[in-house]
Order: sequence, then structure tokens, then C-alpha cells
Amino acid sequence: METAALKEQLKKQIVEFLNLLSVKPEDIKDDEPLFGEGLGLDSIDSLELIVLLGREYGIDIKDPKEGRKILVDVNTMVAYIEKHRTK
Amino acid sequence: MDVDINSLYDCTDNKLKVIEPGYEGIPPGILRRMGKAVRIGVGAALPLIKEAASLDGFIIGTANGGMEDCIKFLNQIIQYEEGVLTPGSFVQSTPNAIAGQLGLFTKNKGYNITHVHRGLAFENAVIDAMMLLHDHPENNYLVGAVDEISAYNYNIELLSGAYKKEPVSCKELYTIHSEGCIAGESAVTFLVNGNKTNAVAQLLGVHGLHTTDIAVVEKQLQLFIQKHLPAGEKIDLLLSGENGDNRLSKYYTSVENIINTATARFKHMTGEYATVSSFAVWLACQLFQTQDVPSHMLKTQKPQAPIKNILIYNNYKGAQHSFILLTKEN
Amino acid sequence: MSRIVVTGIGVISAIGNTVAENRTALQEGKCGITALSLFPSKYAGLMPFGEIKISTEELQKKLNATERGVTRTSLLALHAFAEAIADSQLTNDEITAFDTALIGASTVGGMCLTDELYHDANKNEGGSAYLSSYDFASVNIYLQERYKMSGIVNTINTACSSSANAIMYGARLIKSGRAKRAIVGGVDCLAKFTINGFNALHILSSDICTPFDEQRKGLNLGEGAAFLVLEREEDVIAKNVYAVVSGYCNANDSFHPSSLSDEGDGPYLSMKGALETANITVGDISFINAHGTATENNDAVESKAMIRLFDRVPPFASTKSNTGHTLGAAGAIEAVYSILNLTHQEIYPGLNCKNPIAATGLQPVKIYQKRPLQHIMSNSFGFGGNCTSLIFSTT
Repeated sequence: METAALKEQLKKQIVEFLNLLSVKPEDIKDDEPLFGEGLGLDSIDSLELIVLLGREYGIDIKDPKEGRKILVDVNTMVAYIEKHRTK
Repeated sequence: MDVDINSLYDCTDNKLKVIEPGYEGIPPGILRRMGKAVRIGVGAALPLIKEAASLDGFIIGTANGGMEDCIKFLNQIIQYEEGVLTPGSFVQSTPNAIAGQLGLFTKNKGYNITHVHRGLAFENAVIDAMMLLHDHPENNYLVGAVDEISAYNYNIELLSGAYKKEPVSCKELYTIHSEGCIAGESAVTFLVNGNKTNAVAQLLGVHGLHTTDIAVVEKQLQLFIQKHLPAGEKIDLLLSGENGDNRLSKYYTSVENIINTATARFKHMTGEYATVSSFAVWLACQLFQTQDVPSHMLKTQKPQAPIKNILIYNNYKGAQHSFILLTKEN
Repeated sequence: MSRIVVTGIGVISAIGNTVAENRTALQEGKCGITALSLFPSKYAGLMPFGEIKISTEELQKKLNATERGVTRTSLLALHAFAEAIADSQLTNDEITAFDTALIGASTVGGMCLTDELYHDANKNEGGSAYLSSYDFASVNIYLQERYKMSGIVNTINTACSSSANAIMYGARLIKSGRAKRAIVGGVDCLAKFTINGFNALHILSSDICTPFDEQRKGLNLGEGAAFLVLEREEDVIAKNVYAVVSGYCNANDSFHPSSLSDEGDGPYLSMKGALETANITVGDISFINAHGTATENNDAVESKAMIRLFDRVPPFASTKSNTGHTLGAAGAIEAVYSILNLTHQEIYPGLNCKNPIAATGLQPVKIYQKRPLQHIMSNSFGFGGNCTSLIFSTT
């Protein structure tokens, strides 16, 4: 899958999986921080995104701390998916 | 939102579901996480939180907590065979998520508790508040109750014979004479303190008991009235938790005979659930203000004016009974 | 107003089936956290638990409790309840009196029966025997019916602080005159629901937990039950009295649904409030039975809150490295352990802490010791920022 299409798909998945009511996938910028400022996600969301990566892309992240390094923004997530996906 | 208790909504599939507001007061980032129980609990509390000059704590009664979230998590356990699961629904399913979210939302560091004793969860919450206010009458607490219908607990209750097997209309709930009732849900909240000024009502007494023996209910009722009804006064209205289940009519008939006053019913408006007595207290507060009981509620003649003292009698599955006595203030 | 005293205690946990067995295990520094041998879960081989090595069938036989729909949770509660009321020598008249309250706690209730629950929640026919046993109240209603209790009965669920809140509630009922005596406590048994829930939060450790250790990796779940009989001191002149329930407080951290804030306002305020109700100062606390779950978050915050409140942090330890985290039972089990501290004037070693948390340097007590003890504080901090501290004192 092309990077641009993957980014689009991932944004849709993030919105759906985390039930982000007031956010449209197309409004999420590729380099917008997911945590803190930007999208404002929290620690439970980071655990949920780890589950998302596992279920949709077959990526197994055992340590949530390692996970936070990957879950910086859409760009870092997509880069990691492209490198490590098994699905 | 203005509520019209004169209008009657009918049930669908033997369920009376809540009408949810727009939740403008809850930021989307927080709202998205809330299961229905937490959502309606916070939704019912927000207008009071805005009104309160200060709040010293939250006391919530709920028999089951976030049932929708509970089944979501349970289904994941089965579906993914205990594999990698999302924690959100687990955290939201815990019954104290409602009071916890309220504390979080208001950054309130005061007393925060959740009572979960089935058909007496609300009554225990009220007793808790009464004890706190006895020690600190100047404090303000938000007391409330929440219970939701979810596919999960509806199915379990249906299998156990709690609900009507055939579809019914609310209008015929008391005339159908069959076993079972209809399901309901609500979130009800109150601001309470120890100060009569500007109060809508005063709670004179709350008592819960566990029994299936009518004689015990009758005796406890008489003791309750002796203890809590002020000398020389009478009960102007009995709000009865009769729910259309003919296995339970004997309790209500017995109480009506003892109290012998105008009687009104409310479960055709609400359906049945463990914390429905919270709705009855809310209703009593409405009736104190309007001094007029809607005709669809009346079982007997209208009460004589003024409606000053209201007794609520409710039971849950004929095994947990409660008496709540309220008097009008202002 | 009469002081509120403890006249009976009962406990069952991974380190013993009775008070005496638990005490011996604590003295010896015994750890009851092992591989699962009875409970069927995918996690049986992956992580250790504080499992009580008695099957549900054995419990039913031992307790003569074969009523339809009785759950393991109810059986564990019954075991500890029966020990407590026998210990207090309550008569049948007293147990059934209208002024005897029962205040219990559970975060699992009958949901330990995950497969039956799934079936009953989803299928149209053939409901199991447990249809009315799933909720949290089912345990206390079972005890109420079995013992024909007629006073106030209540169930509290505030996650990990549940039974500490139950103890506090029972004491307040007596103080307010709504009860003359209160049997208070809590129970939880291992359940797929909680195992998977805590695992999804990544706070379970695959090794035996190390409370207050710099390298701690998370908690181990455990199961158990404990009950205490609370009475008014004026009513029990002839009885053996263990301790006074001298202080209690509940406060909210109001930071996050499942973790504590860095500043630890919740723990700080609950500890401070308990001191105030006990009318004692920080210097009067002889020992703290800490919440000490061995999660990164709890132990760091609890340590910080202790440093913030106490001029000199008293000796402290967590017993969760003996029993595992028993959730709804934790507050009550640890209250019983605090009472054992006072009764026998001894402190039990906290297990498995090799290196203290670097940021605080606080070390739990590591060796068994006899010492004069007057006031013991017991802390329980739960989800939703729910923080409760209890203080037990010598008479």
C-alpha cells in the first residue's frame, strides 16, 4: 500500500478506534503530536493504539514505553508500520 | 431541559430508554470515552454542578455500573481468547467510574463513593449523605443514582423471568395482570445540604430492608412511620413502586391498606431497575412544586391539598424494600 | 460517644486460610504468589497470582454451602465472615438483630464465572444457575440470607479501596447510631474479567512483584476475603478487644481514571484526613501498611505523598508481595494485618525490595521485628482516584 493511502487509512482507524467524536480523519495533520498538545490523547489511548497496531497490522509492541516512542504522530506511526507490519 | 410529567412516553420492546441531551457541557475529548452509564450520570449532574456554590463530594448509587462497557470487554475476552485487549471499556465498566469521572471533571478532591447494593444502592447513598450532613450540615454533596439497560443485563434479567414475555404498552402495565415488568434506566442527581433555606424538600427518613415476608414489611413500615412522621401530621400521598408484576402486587396492596391515602404510581413512566427509587424522589420534588399529580399516575382519588408529606414505597423483586419519607420545604 | 473497637477478625488469602495461618506466614515472610494451579486462564503459565489453593468444590463442602448459584466469591466471603463472627463470639440474636449491619465490598461479584456470564448475556435460552449472582451485591445478599440478618446491609465498589471504604462506612453507621455493631469487610476472587482488564492496562508483572523497588514491574493479582466485627466499646466490656478504629478518611485524587497524579493529592489528603479524625499527629504513626501494589505509578506517588506528609516517614511495608493485590478484599485483609501488628506488637517484613526507589530512597521494613506500636495506618488507593486511609490504635 502506498504511504499516502496508508496515512489516510490510519487516520480513519485512529478516529474510529478511539471514538474521537469531534475529529474528522482528514483534519489530522501528519505531523500533529498525538499526545499532549495536538490531538490530546492520553495514556489509555496509547495502550489502545498499541492494540490497534496489533489487530490491524500484526505488530506486537510489548512495552508501552517503547510504544510511546513510535506513537508521536501519524508520520512516525506510518514509518513504523511500513517497516514492521506482518499483515 | 424542561420535563413534562403529564405526557406519557410508551415503551419499545418492553424497554423505556433515556432521552439523552446534547451534552454540550462535556468536552468531546472526555465524552468520547464515556459509556452510557457514565455519560448519563455526568449529564444529569452537570446542571447541578454549575448551580452549586461549592461541592464537598459525590455519592452515587448504581447496581451494575457501566453495563455496556462490561459486555464490550467481556466479548473481547471471548472473541480474542484473552489476547491483546483494549483497556478503555474495562476502566469505564467499573461502577465507580461515574463518581470518579464526576470528581475528575470538577477536580473535586472530596469524599467520593459508589454504593452498589442492588435495589437499595440509592437508599444506601442517601443514608451516607445523611450521616455526612449530620456531622457537617454546611457541606454540599451531589447524591445520585444511575442504572442503564444494556443488551447484557436485559438478557440475563429476561432469562431469570424478571420481564414480561409478551410485548406490553405502558398504558396497560397495571391492568394486564401477568408476571414480569418492563425494563427502565435513568440517571438522577440531587444537591443536598443541611440547610432548609431554598430547599425543595427535606428527607425525613430512609429505611431499607431485606425480606420476602409481608408481615415483616408491614411491621417495619409501621415502625418507620412512628419514627419519622412528625406528630400530628399525615401522609398526603403514597408514591408506589407497583410495577405490573402480579407476583408483587400483594406487597403494594398491603402497604396501601396501611397508609390509606391518595396513591400514585410511576413505573409506567420509568420501567423497572434497581435504582428507580431515585426517580421517585425526583418525582416527589416535582409534585411538591406543582401540587398537582398527573391523572395517568393516580391509582386512587387525587390527594387533598396541600401535598406536604410524600411517602415512597418501593421494592425490587419483592426481596429488597424501601421507605422514603419526604416533606415539602418552602 | 463510645469508641469503635474491633472484637473479631477473619481472613483467607494465598498465605493462609485463617487469621493464625496468615500471621505465621507473615512472620516467616512467606510469599503466596505462585503459578495458577486451579484457575483456568490463558495467563496460567505466563504470570504468577496469589491463588488460594482450595477448589470451589472443596470450599462448598467445607462450608456446607451448596445453595444454588453460590459463587466462589461468596464462598471465600463466607469463610472469612464465619471466622470473624465466631472470633467475636457474636450470638445468633446479635447477628440477626436489626441493629447489626453488614457492609461488604467486591469488585468482581459473580463475574468470576466468565463463561456462564457470556452465555447468559448472549443466549436466548437455558439460563444458568447464576442468573442472579453476577452483581456485586450478590455476595452480601447471600450472607444476609444465610445468617438471616435484619439490619442495614450494603455493598461498596470503589475498585481497590472498596473494603477500606466498607470499614469506614460501618464505623460511621455505629457512630451515627444507625447500628450497634457492624460486620465489615470485602472479598474478591480471581476472574478472567479482572486478569484481562489489568493486563490490558499493562500493569501486571510476569514475575513476583517487588513493592517499592526501583525496578518494580507491576502487580500480581490475588484473591481473598476478610471481615472485621466492629462494636461500641461500651457494649463489650467483657470481650477481647483487638484495637480501636480511631481514624479514617476518603479523598479523591481527581487526576486520571486509572492512575494517580505525580503530586499525589489523593493519597496525601486521605492520610492527612485520617490523622485528623484520629486526632493524632504525623509523629504518632508507628507503622504504615502501604497500598504498595508494585506498579510504577502507585509506589512512586505513594512514596512522594508519605514524604510530603510525614516529617519522618514511619516504618512501612506492603503485604501485597505476600498475598498479591486482592482488589475488593485488599482494604479489609490489610486492616486485619494491621490489627495483628497491634495485637502482637510486631512488624512483618516487606518482601522482594532489593533497591529503593532512587528518587525517594525510601526502604520498606525488611526484617521481622517486635516493637512498641500504638497507631497503625493502612492505605488503599483505587481507580477513579479513590483514596482511603484507616488508622487502628491500641486500646
